[in-house]
Amino acid sequence: MEQQYAIEMRGICKSFGSVAANKDINLTVKPGEILALLGENGSGKTTLMNMLSGIYKPDSGMILVDGREVAINSPEDAKKLGIGMVHQHFKLVDVFSAADNIWLGDDKSGPVLKKDRFQVIGDMAKRFGFDIDPRKKVYNMAVSEKQTLEIVKVLYYGAQIIILDEPTAVLTVQETAKLFDVLRRMKESGHAIIIITHKLNEVLEISDRVAILRKGEYITTVDTATTDEQQLTEYMVGRKVKLNIDRPVVEKTRPLLEIRDLTIKNDEGALAIDKVNFYIRGGEILGVAGIAGCGQKELCEAIAGLRPIESGMMIHKGDNIVGLSPKAILEKGISMSFIPEDRLGMGLAPSMSITDNMLLKKYDQAKGPFVDRKTGREEAKQVVQDLEIVTPSTETPVRRLSGGNVQKVLLGREIKAGPNVIVTAYPVRGLDINSSYAIYDILNRQKKDGVGILFVGEDLDVMMDLCDKIMVLCHGRVMGVVHAHKTSKEELGLMMTGALDLTNKYEDKPAGIAKDSRIEEVEE
Amino acid sequence: MKSQQPLFHVIKREDSRPAQQLLAYVAAVVLALAVGAVLLAVQGVEPLTFYRQMITMGIPGSRYPWRAVENFIKLFVPLLIVSLALSLAFKMRFWNIGGEGQFIMGAFWAGVAGMLLGESLPQPVMVLAMALCGALGGGVYGVFVAALKVKWGTNETLLTLMLNYVALYFLQYFAETKAGWNFFLDPQSARPKFAKFPDNAQMITIPIGPFNLNLSLIVALVLCALIFGYLNYTKRGYEIAVVGDSPNTARYAGMKVGKIVIRTIFLSAALIGMAGALHVSSAGVMSASPTNDVGWTGIVVAWLAKLNTLGILLASVLITVLQFGCQTASSSYPSIDANFANLLQGVILFLVLAADFFTRFKLVLRSRKEAAR
Repeated sequence: MEQQYAIEMRGICKSFGSVAANKDINLTVKPGEILALLGENGSGKTTLMNMLSGIYKPDSGMILVDGREVAINSPEDAKKLGIGMVHQHFKLVDVFSAADNIWLGDDKSGPVLKKDRFQVIGDMAKRFGFDIDPRKKVYNMAVSEKQTLEIVKVLYYGAQIIILDEPTAVLTVQETAKLFDVLRRMKESGHAIIIITHKLNEVLEISDRVAILRKGEYITTVDTATTDEQQLTEYMVGRKVKLNIDRPVVEKTRPLLEIRDLTIKNDEGALAIDKVNFYIRGGEILGVAGIAGCGQKELCEAIAGLRPIESGMMIHKGDNIVGLSPKAILEKGISMSFIPEDRLGMGLAPSMSITDNMLLKKYDQAKGPFVDRKTGREEAKQVVQDLEIVTPSTETPVRRLSGGNVQKVLLGREIKAGPNVIVTAYPVRGLDINSSYAIYDILNRQKKDGVGILFVGEDLDVMMDLCDKIMVLCHGRVMGVVHAHKTSKEELGLMMTGALDLTNKYEDKPAGIAKDSRIEEVEE
Repeated sequence: MKSQQPLFHVIKREDSRPAQQLLAYVAAVVLALAVGAVLLAVQGVEPLTFYRQMITMGIPGSRYPWRAVENFIKLFVPLLIVSLALSLAFKMRFWNIGGEGQFIMGAFWAGVAGMLLGESLPQPVMVLAMALCGALGGGVYGVFVAALKVKWGTNETLLTLMLNYVALYFLQYFAETKAGWNFFLDPQSARPKFAKFPDNAQMITIPIGPFNLNLSLIVALVLCALIFGYLNYTKRGYEIAVVGDSPNTARYAGMKVGKIVIRTIFLSAALIGMAGALHVSSAGVMSASPTNDVGWTGIVVAWLAKLNTLGILLASVLITVLQFGCQTASSSYPSIDANFANLLQGVILFLVLAADFFTRFKLVLRSRKEAAR
């Protein structure tokens, strides 16, 4: 208690309309301390931090910085108080160099781009032990470099209190380790750090204390040293939760979907997928791991027929599906659900009702010129019931639903169509523990029914628990297909960055080609 | 630092009931009329009398009350059809602001048909032919932009806007060029002047007593019902909604987005062209500027009604009452002219949009207790 808190929040309340996002929240951070802020989706973590960084203003309660009460009315005020926030979505100008991005927001630098700015910023970054090239343009940067730049930026502006909003969501294991090194160094130099996350293992690894929010309410703060995953989950969810993901063993059938020498270009015309081979059997989940932009999106789109391919074959139950229209591919029973960053971009029409969204892929099957909403409504009711979707009614526009429910609607529709191959990308993107487990259950049920599932994921822990096999992509090339229960996070991480290539480990059997493939029959 | 707290917050309302919304709109109109009353009073016009004349459109006490209704319909029908047609495009998030141009092109081709064939065809066939020519003329003019957008991703807002002027000057060329080939002009007149259409190219009217019911009104109302059904119940209407909401989703669901865009824009522009055809046929003569700004006013009507078909019917009645009523009322005051209608229209729109904001958001003053803390 003798030490002054860098930040103290007392009784903070904030409502949006009748929804209380934060109710009476207390939070303290000392200098030289890392506080993890833990909570499910919609528990008010980001709202709370946005009040520190001046984006929102609290309805009531007070904020003390270094023991003095302050009012933070704008990000400008936050900057003056030495509070810096690294947002989940980076706020950088793509066409500017690293140094210019920092220079741009600096009050002291004046209106002229001085020649020594690269030097000044480069020196400063070196002093903190960062490895960035101040002349590099942001659009040439990898995600982890952009994040480093964001951190350098807030440090350059003199932040003593640094807030990171889910910083590890976009990083590989190795990059996360590097980030944590940086955070530890900052902690030693006396910075106060708040890190928002819902990955428990990271919380335990990096933080000194953990503050937990649940549904906008402050639950408690615990010392990291005295807690464990089970306890944290209980605080977060409010009841006991089983933390194991099932991996039911199902008898596998012959390959349902087989990809041979597939080459795809991305929107810029560069190779997105380069001579990729793999197959999916019925009753198995094949995970696809890789850092953002390694070609997963293009692969999914190609399978669904939304993107033309350069060369190669895609064989579904013995038929080549290359060149078929998206509709024809749907009719063959291949369903694709891709959850993009904004969640609503592909697969759902956000302002239309659940009923209308149920009809999306089959509105055309009804006889006559009219849309058959009656069937749609019945199906919507069924899906709402089966997947426990929380909604006022089946006529509610999808965008009014919360993230988890939106994703359930999408998956529910795909499963309702009775597919034999499901391609799903990031189905739990941004979901909290409860909803994520609901989705894993849905996928496992499909797997038991003999459906082949391609699961593009981002959380390696989950993929190692859920998938049967994991294929790793790096820059559009397959780095190998490994058995999920035999691999390790380190191995996957190395493969994702291209440092480890297992494709030629077994000379006789190239990774990704099934022994009992029917492809030869097709060619004859 | 405490004094820097803002005076009020903008807070999103959870649920706005339709009744509340309607009340807000009515309040907005009343407020707009009050503003108008002040402006009228300044110019020495008794506002209540003016408004009474405006709302009754000068019908009571007129020697030819039916004539007023007929003229009202002539203003109302083009606005209704154009607004409906625009709502099709807007629902798909295709910003067709080329209603003016498509209307002119519809009028032009209807005029061509009327002038060249008017003598040889019977009236029902002739009116139908004019409507079809107008629809085709407007439709092709609009679909051109849609095709460019689908093919090369050009910006439809710019193109439709610029094509408005192309159409306008194209028509003016015919209006002002006195030459032997120009069949539009009156050969008797020395100055270039549009000739009247042959009798068979005049719009069909159904006499009910002294009143002549313009057939185009029936056409417009039937269209209203058809478009309501088209948008809400048919597969094509469903496609329009999905494409408008998220083109990526539409593609993913196997829809041919390009085809849907082209089909819908053709339909939208063809209806606007047909409105142009019905309009010139009702007027009985071409005009160098036939649109009466419906291409613009239609945009306003469509958005006021939030693209709801029944709302469009209501909003176009109200806007026409405002325009036509102001016109007739102002004719009895030397200090007021029809421009006042535009002014009043602007004030009403502004306030209705403001009311719309307040039905969705509310301002909450910081309580004094809190501010004192």
